[in-house]
Amino acid sequence: MADASSAPELSPTQVAILTAYCELIEEVGTDDVSFRLIALRAGVGERTVFRYYPTRVDLLLATSAWIERTIFTRQESDSIFDVPIAIHEAMEAYDRRPELAHVVAETAMRGVNGSEPAPHRDRFDALLRAEVPSLSEPERRLLVAALCHLDSSATWVTMRREVGMHGRDIADAARWAAESQLDPIRAAS
Amino acid sequence: MVEKPVDTEAAILESAVALLRERTFEDITYLDLAEAAAVSERTIYRRFPTRSHLLEALARWIESQQFPLPQIRTPEEFRAAVRERFRAYERAPGCAFVAARGASLSPTMESAPTPLARAVFAMLTTAAPTLNSRDTQRIAATAQYFASPIFWARMRTGFDMNADETFEAFDRAMSRAMAIVPQVSWAS
Repeated sequence: MADASSAPELSPTQVAILTAYCELIEEVGTDDVSFRLIALRAGVGERTVFRYYPTRVDLLLATSAWIERTIFTRQESDSIFDVPIAIHEAMEAYDRRPELAHVVAETAMRGVNGSEPAPHRDRFDALLRAEVPSLSEPERRLLVAALCHLDSSATWVTMRREVGMHGRDIADAARWAAESQLDPIRAAS
Repeated sequence: MVEKPVDTEAAILESAVALLRERTFEDITYLDLAEAAAVSERTIYRRFPTRSHLLEALARWIESQQFPLPQIRTPEEFRAAVRERFRAYERAPGCAFVAARGASLSPTMESAPTPLARAVFAMLTTAAPTLNSRDTQRIAATAQYFASPIFWARMRTGFDMNADETFEAFDRAMSRAMAIVPQVSWAS
């Protein structure tokens, strides 16, 4: 139930296009996929793809949002102290679909022209207000920022690419890092 | 394998950096690059078969040329280096976003731990030699991730933070991760 409220209603044609693009990304990467190939795979005309997604960036952002909603879905945490477990599970999911994890990570790094870089911000903030009311506003802001950063596919990408870690080690380290952020406020909750 | 004189590649990447001051990576075409670097468009395609190749190489070039890393031997030096990095990113946001994007891409070539990741790991093993290897790896991975241009980019677009606020968020996150090695002072 990840932000279902903000999800746009998609037509079956759009779903077909986004599904086709996802498949092709996993087969050949994001760069070498032409609109013609996507149209062919989706069983629609190339003009239909352009009508819904006039540019490659439009298509990529829609696809990235679609991937987050349908493939990297997760149970919303009921407590801020469940977030490390959710992060662990998310890392395992990214590990199963690496190409899609990269797409989601990259589109979030495009600044104002990209996707939402901290989708769980409001949720984390609300949980902290309810569970740890003694936390000051600046403290809460820094903690929400750290947790949002850890709860993203970029964690998986960085630990794999930049640090050279794999699979379980990444899930373990990401969960550990989130726990370490929460440890000091456990007593206050 | 195509022969690969390094200076052609450097000229292309340098031209891309110059173009990034006026427009985004999306708006830089191979033809623009060819004109700016005074090479043929074909040459660019030979070096960078896809835009992902270009973005990845450009990110690496930017990190090493625009944001070079100083010596990092102690936690103090690491903190100082990160603060300076975030400030440098803020002075050249176009380049910093490209560095963040390039670091997020599916790698087109074999990737090894980056200079920063290696430096952080070495700093940590020197500062806390008795720490077990799993905790060392966890802290090093956390440090690398919070020191990255990705963190800067997320704090800027998602939280409206400037360089110094981003450093504060980094510092807070790191002091918590370092709490398991009380014998090493994170911030004096």
